[in-house]
Amino acid sequence: AVAAAAAGGLRRAGWRLWRGRAAARCQLCPPQRALQASALLRRSSDQQQKEPFASSSQQQFDSHPTHHQPEQEAQGPRPSYTGQGGQESEDYESEEQLQHRILAAALDFVPEHGWTAEAIAEGAKSLGLSVAAAGMFHSDGSELVLHFVAECNTRLAELLEQEQKRVQLGEAEKKPTDQFLREAVEARLRMLIPYIEKWPQALSILLLPHNIPSSLNLLSTMIDDILHYAGDQSTDFNWYTRRAVLTGIYNTTELVMMQDSSPDFEDTWRFLENRVTDAMNMKDTAQQVQSTGEAVVQGLMGAAVTVSNTDTCRVVR
Amino acid sequence: AAAGLCPCRVLLSRRGGALRVLRGSMQGLAAGPETHFGFQTVTEAERREKIYQVFESVAKKYDIMNDSMTLGIHRVWKDILMHKMNPSPGTLLLDVAGGTGDIAFRFLNYVRSVRERQLQLKLRRHQNLSWQEISESYQEDKFNSLGDSQVVVCDINKEMLKVGKQKAQHLGYSEGLSWVLGNAEELPFDDDKFDVYTIAFGIRNVTRIDLALQEAYRVLKPGGRFLCLEFSHVSNPLLSRLYDLYSFQVIPVLGEVIAGDWKSYQYLVESIRRFPPQEELKAMIEDAGFFKVDYQNLNSGIVAIHSGFKL
Repeated sequence: AVAAAAAGGLRRAGWRLWRGRAAARCQLCPPQRALQASALLRRSSDQQQKEPFASSSQQQFDSHPTHHQPEQEAQGPRPSYTGQGGQESEDYESEEQLQHRILAAALDFVPEHGWTAEAIAEGAKSLGLSVAAAGMFHSDGSELVLHFVAECNTRLAELLEQEQKRVQLGEAEKKPTDQFLREAVEARLRMLIPYIEKWPQALSILLLPHNIPSSLNLLSTMIDDILHYAGDQSTDFNWYTRRAVLTGIYNTTELVMMQDSSPDFEDTWRFLENRVTDAMNMKDTAQQVQSTGEAVVQGLMGAAVTVSNTDTCRVVR
Repeated sequence: AAAGLCPCRVLLSRRGGALRVLRGSMQGLAAGPETHFGFQTVTEAERREKIYQVFESVAKKYDIMNDSMTLGIHRVWKDILMHKMNPSPGTLLLDVAGGTGDIAFRFLNYVRSVRERQLQLKLRRHQNLSWQEISESYQEDKFNSLGDSQVVVCDINKEMLKVGKQKAQHLGYSEGLSWVLGNAEELPFDDDKFDVYTIAFGIRNVTRIDLALQEAYRVLKPGGRFLCLEFSHVSNPLLSRLYDLYSFQVIPVLGEVIAGDWKSYQYLVESIRRFPPQEELKAMIEDAGFFKVDYQNLNSGIVAIHSGFKL
């Protein structure tokens, strides 16, 4: 038994080196180990194609009496991303794709169960998997929220991209900056409406210490996207100020939306409009303040010089 | 051929029944491969036989010995396993080598409390119901305190199951619990049946671990989870030395004093040393077809929880 284990171990080690995979924990491994076994993950039309592969790998291993198990990581004829079977790789799903599918299905159950492991379990059940599949995720529902936020950001980016294309093709007018920002933030916040009741819970989850790096990352990427499509090409300190201002606008509007009970969130959009206008005016105000400040300083300096001259003159006289 | 005859002779000399002799002779050829029993080398059939007898003799004192050997920490380990599993009501659990029912009882407690919380939340939301509707909702939930969760305790040893059943009766567990006599290498269940498969401190005593893992894979539903709680390899050298000292000097003495059985506990500590370490067990689980296989060390490696999913 020890020899078999050693032989198996050597084979596995060699296989891993060959596939360039670190002998570390599974989570760090690239998603190349496609999920063969479950009938769920196979498209039925290609099941016949898979049988010969499975049986051929079986034959390979029957000749090794010490190796009790046909390794699922079959060598050679395995139609995965590395193999020759280019078309077969689409039929297999990696673990991450399956996790995405479960989370996507779980979103339907959020209004009822909140952003919790229960919603994920219901999502898994709706896909035909066991409820225990929710154990793949953190038990506080973090991955569900992060998945949703990432998806919303992707959708927003797509919307902005389409908008830009239309402008380039001349189908639409280029919007002034404040209107553009306003509509982009509104579009993004509207994606929260189906889940608005449980959104405070989601916000609290996003603020958990172990989630802060991911949530900050998602937030900053989204703000970056919006400003990029708004045509921001600054390369000086304005880059930071603009993003900080827009992040502030977005966060405050989100919070206002949480406790807004007006029809179709009119109050929220009005609040947003006011904040964007303030931000636009802030630039002019800053310049005004600066020039006024300069004028005041010059006045003071002039007064000081006059006073000192007068005193000198008096002394001289 | 000599190896084939050997187990038969060994079996005959024991106080075995006629059935056992027959089984031995049929398995004579299958008993060939050598394996370990503690630090001894025996055939597979011998090993199965010896382990059966070990647990037959310790069954009554099993729980007391667990508490005294681990100073009660095994309860914490099992609780951690349950929290990691985080079962939702409606889960079907198969606890293999679950003899005296520790994991099963914890599972039932856990789902019961989760279910209570679920019902409370549901009631809180239904603030505007009429009295009729409220009384109806109470009635339908009265018979559902476990939320259709069930646990099947499977063990190869009759004595351990007997002790488990007595404990269940004594502690008042009746719903959602069933006891099945079965071999982990050849489970008497259909395919794709269970949500979670656990084996706590049992896989060490299985002779063909790969077969047990294959069976686990077979009986789990797609998406099901495999959880294994077992003594494992301590990497910290200082702790390892203290642990060895404690294991070999203290535990067999405790075994003799409390259970009157030095040899069984000598076997126990030896079998822990012979068990594959964390990474190797992880590789074996992956070989059986599980995905997202991972392990968590408890007490820096004295115990490890391995987890895998059938995807």
